[in-house]
Amino acid sequence: MQAATQLDRTFAALADPTRRGVIELLRKRPRRAGELAAALEMSAQAMSRHLRVLRRTGLVEEDGLDDDARVRVYRLRAEPFAGLRDWIEEVEAFWTDQLSAFKAHAERPRKGKHP
Amino acid sequence: MKVTTFVHVEPQAAFDVFTQETDLWWGRGPKFRFGGAKRGVLHFEAGPGGRLFEEYDGGAVYEVGKILVWEPGARLVFEWRIPNFAPGECTEVEVTFEAGDGGTRVVLEHRGWKALRKDHPARHGLDDVAYSRMLGMWWSELLSSMRERTG
Repeated sequence: MQAATQLDRTFAALADPTRRGVIELLRKRPRRAGELAAALEMSAQAMSRHLRVLRRTGLVEEDGLDDDARVRVYRLRAEPFAGLRDWIEEVEAFWTDQLSAFKAHAERPRKGKHP
Repeated sequence: MKVTTFVHVEPQAAFDVFTQETDLWWGRGPKFRFGGAKRGVLHFEAGPGGRLFEEYDGGAVYEVGKILVWEPGARLVFEWRIPNFAPGECTEVEVTFEAGDGGTRVVLEHRGWKALRKDHPARHGLDDVAYSRMLGMWWSELLSSMRERTG
């Protein structure tokens, strides 16, 4: 149930095109809020609202740059994506098992039928 | 998401086994069945508008979904609704049977997470095109990149 809720939040946060844009940019490297706002052509205030949603979902985090802790940057967090991945892999594993059971059954020798 | 297999029987035979002997090959136990501890028998009703359902002792039935496309020997599409789906939520499974060298290539695609109801929070007012694009291309690309990253 916990996992499903996290997944719902992930979906909801990602349903917005601006927030997907932010994720796309952060996939390449961590960035400052100002850079994100400029890249996506929006006000600092609007960007800050989107970043708040992404932070709450745990999709991104804000912290200091590795070589200069005074520079605050946003970076991607892997955990929410892992939840999504687990869920998709579960469905995939379900059907993989099913198809291999189907194959075993379909290919077993049958009475009265030529192969 | 899409999974495939290759079976060493003709497409028509593969289709028939898939739809007529469903209960024999379909996985057993709560992971694969719908009735929890209840032992049920799984059926496809032939033809479009037929149902995929599990029937229990005493005649109770769980309907997984309706058959949307029924092309014997070639293609089967059915709705997929499992008990933990919210009311109105439904996805779709398409199975294609394609003649190959000495058998049949079977491709199963489970899709239609885009068919989540319009007011589902995940949609946030996106229209069908935007939403399915997001679930399709963008999604899988993102996931595979995250997979590399998170191992």
